[in-house]
Amino acid sequence: MGLDMLVVDDSPVTRKMVRRALGLCGLEVAQVHEAGDGAEALDQLGRHHIDLVLADINMPVMNGIELVERMSSDPDLCGVPVVIVATPMSQDRVEHVLDRGARAYLAKPFRPEALRDVVVQILGTAGGSDA
Amino acid sequence: MPEPTVDLLTDILGTVLQESAFIFAEPDPEPEAWEGEVLTARIAFESTQGGSLRLVTSPRAAAEVAANMLGIDPGAEADANGQAAISELLNVLGGAFLTRFFGAAVPSQLGLPATSVGTSPEPAPHRTCAAAVRLESGEAIVLELDLETR
Repeated sequence: MGLDMLVVDDSPVTRKMVRRALGLCGLEVAQVHEAGDGAEALDQLGRHHIDLVLADINMPVMNGIELVERMSSDPDLCGVPVVIVATPMSQDRVEHVLDRGARAYLAKPFRPEALRDVVVQILGTAGGSDA
Repeated sequence: MPEPTVDLLTDILGTVLQESAFIFAEPDPEPEAWEGEVLTARIAFESTQGGSLRLVTSPRAAAEVAANMLGIDPGAEADANGQAAISELLNVLGGAFLTRFFGAAVPSQLGLPATSVGTSPEPAPHRTCAAAVRLESGEAIVLELDLETR
């Protein structure tokens, strides 16, 4: 089966790095979609099945917190978990994004295994035949 | 809050280069002059004090960072991603600086990184301190802190 992931970051280099980490971390990934900001992410979520979103916070047009808020208030999207993948943040900001509906926070830079652990913890699967 | 020192900036720059791009860089004196094009990236921050961080380097070093970040060979793709790689490196440096300098318990916020290329670094109006490292290739990367006084 494999997991369908959405990577949301305004940096094309970061999107490629996350893609690379997804390929290295031992998850069974079917497709990786990309978006450059929260608005593009909502568009992608409307067009594709997505198992999990990996989103940055600090983005133009629509940042990661607004994306999480929009998804949380949308009956069609509130079940799609969002992991915030962002630079080290103050504790209040981490608590804020988790309060708004993000399921986890992964600080950059991260090891591929850390990404795998977070995804498995949230989805209960690595995307293989048990998915 | 610690004093903004060269040692703090050097440590943050070395650690983030190592963890983000698997690059081991040695502390080095700041270049007296830059040859050829210079890439400057800047990110503003707001905490108990405002200010900005700037990375100054060469397009060659930027391509080297991109190749290491993306796990690709040097060449056209690394060259094309150099500016974005430095931008992302500064983004991570900004987050690391804020939590190390102001502390994780203090609310703080980063802006969006902006980059430019010219024949000399953009002037830093409130430069507080700076740290420089040299990559194995001999290219230099300089991290500058502009801390606003209130």
